[in-house]
Amino acid sequence: MSKFTGVWAIFEYLDETTETIEQVRKKGVQPTVITPCPRHEIDHALGNPSSIVPWIALAFGALGCFIGYSLPAWTASDWVLPVSGKPILAIPPFTIIGFEMTVLFTAIYTLAGLAILGIIDSFRFPIPNAAKKYPRFQRDRFGVVVRCDADKLDEFEAIMKKNGAEEVHVEKG
Amino acid sequence: MGTTAQYDATAGRVIIDEHQGHPGIKSTTLSYGQINDEMLAMLDKPRPSYYLLLLGFLMALGLGALSLAIQVDVGIGYSGISHPIGWGFYITNFVFWIGIGHAGTLISAVFYLTRAPWRTAIYRSAEAMTVFAVFTAGLFPLVHIGRPWLAFWLIPYPNERMLWVNFKSPLLWDVFAVTTYMSVSIMFFMLGLIPDLAILRDEAVRKGKKLKALVYAPLALAWRGTNHQWVHYMRGYMIFAALATPLVFSVHSIVSWDFAMSSVPGWHTTIFAPYFVAGAIFSGLSMVLTVLIPMRAVFGLQDYITNHVIQSVAKMIIFTSVIVGYAYGAEFFIGYYSGSPFERAIFYYRPFGEMASWTLLGDNEINFPQIAFWLMVFCNVIVPIPLWRWKIRNNPLAVWIIAALVNVGMWFERFNIIGSSLQHEYDPSAWGEYWPTVVEVGITIGSFGFFFTLFTLFAKSLPPMAIMELKEGTNPPMRNAAKKDTDE
Repeated sequence: MSKFTGVWAIFEYLDETTETIEQVRKKGVQPTVITPCPRHEIDHALGNPSSIVPWIALAFGALGCFIGYSLPAWTASDWVLPVSGKPILAIPPFTIIGFEMTVLFTAIYTLAGLAILGIIDSFRFPIPNAAKKYPRFQRDRFGVVVRCDADKLDEFEAIMKKNGAEEVHVEKG
Repeated sequence: MGTTAQYDATAGRVIIDEHQGHPGIKSTTLSYGQINDEMLAMLDKPRPSYYLLLLGFLMALGLGALSLAIQVDVGIGYSGISHPIGWGFYITNFVFWIGIGHAGTLISAVFYLTRAPWRTAIYRSAEAMTVFAVFTAGLFPLVHIGRPWLAFWLIPYPNERMLWVNFKSPLLWDVFAVTTYMSVSIMFFMLGLIPDLAILRDEAVRKGKKLKALVYAPLALAWRGTNHQWVHYMRGYMIFAALATPLVFSVHSIVSWDFAMSSVPGWHTTIFAPYFVAGAIFSGLSMVLTVLIPMRAVFGLQDYITNHVIQSVAKMIIFTSVIVGYAYGAEFFIGYYSGSPFERAIFYYRPFGEMASWTLLGDNEINFPQIAFWLMVFCNVIVPIPLWRWKIRNNPLAVWIIAALVNVGMWFERFNIIGSSLQHEYDPSAWGEYWPTVVEVGITIGSFGFFFTLFTLFAKSLPPMAIMELKEGTNPPMRNAAKKDTDE
């Protein structure tokens, strides 16, 4: 990510991180925040971002449901097995297969969706290599990454420092 | 979130103190760094006792493998399964292990949705148990069919004879239910592991352990913990929890329909689905405590798996024990009230044996089903009663003994259902008797060896507790800490 231009900082405290996020957003920039665990405070400061994962789950769940009903219906019609005059296309037993396929498809494609969105987001919201290599973000530190034009670097650096950042790094890609 | 909840009667609302943690879970007061260090210390080089334990489980597994090899070589006739008893130890083990596999998803999904704070410390291990238990269970239909290499016949695939599987058969529902449950459990387990694997990767980098970092880096799937990743992750996790919740209830319901859809006396009853689900949760939670109480002692996890956590699981055990006990009684009542002589006969046979004499202590020959019945009642209904007392629930050793006995009882419950009904169906001339052979006992012991080997390896190779969620549950580091209430 050698082309990255912006500022990134390391914070020890959550309240200082959220304060920084809010001030950065007031300047019209949406920062990327790195945290050791999910925190609602961060979500609130970022304006409660949404995800399209539920839509992926819904779409593929519907596909799974369709396959779950149509596979037994098709096979029952393809090889007719009459038993005691019972219906060939029987909805109650097929509902079990329909339910299981709905769950299976939703789960598989939710996981696949998460992986693909992760790849897409890494291009949409790049973070500098040095921030990627900083090993304490998964442990006990918060990171705020601001991608901005070169003329705004000082402004964001000042915000980070003012809010108590442990380290502030300026990247001029 | 890591909070102490106190009810303020004057204000008429619950006051949350975010800086004292949960009153019963000490780990909610630890710092992020402390949690990291203590969890990673669990993955340090094992002591010799670990290898000894592993060796014991491997020997049990070896016994199972040897027994299976003998059975495959000689044929299924080497087992005690013979007309009219088509289902013996193997299907008992299948149902038992599927039941054990219920607690993990219940704890990780249902209690996640209900926001039970005590689940955090135990859900990862419980989820691992689910995965391993379903693996173990999945082996038994293969063992049972005698020719495991033909198991693929159960899968609907276009074959040269243009034959399809029968989707109206409960046995095929089982194939779909169990494989779906196994797949979803594995994915749910892996999903929860991703942020923790990133922690392991970064800690290895921080400590200069390059080989470990190389191993964990691809497993962590480039996880950085950015807000973009978290927002998708948390949505995905919620969807998995919401999916897994009905799945937990469906799987054992479907397993119960393997029995209830037939017209065998003692099986053909509508209470089977809730009865099996309650039993599965009962046995699964007991297995969780059977494994985690010793683990807590070995790893010194008293701050995480606190007595409050054990008590919470024990309360669930009491709850499901009552349901199971009620179901036992209801079965007998329905057997009597149905007026069917066959139903009445089987429910006489289960506790007392042959109806040759009307005195309980007459000439009745006590057989394996009667032993199973009384062990089932004793272990599942009588043994958990002391858990109603706080003092017993607060004593981990007592809870462990009860949980271990419940496991024994639940195994015999499965056998009681399967073995007794098949021995005494309708026509007395077609009645039979079942005693397991040495290979069945060997394979059963091997299944325990398989399960515990996998769990022992897991406990030292992956974080047995969800580090990320423990951090989420603890107090976040704040420069300007302030007391908040629920109105804020």
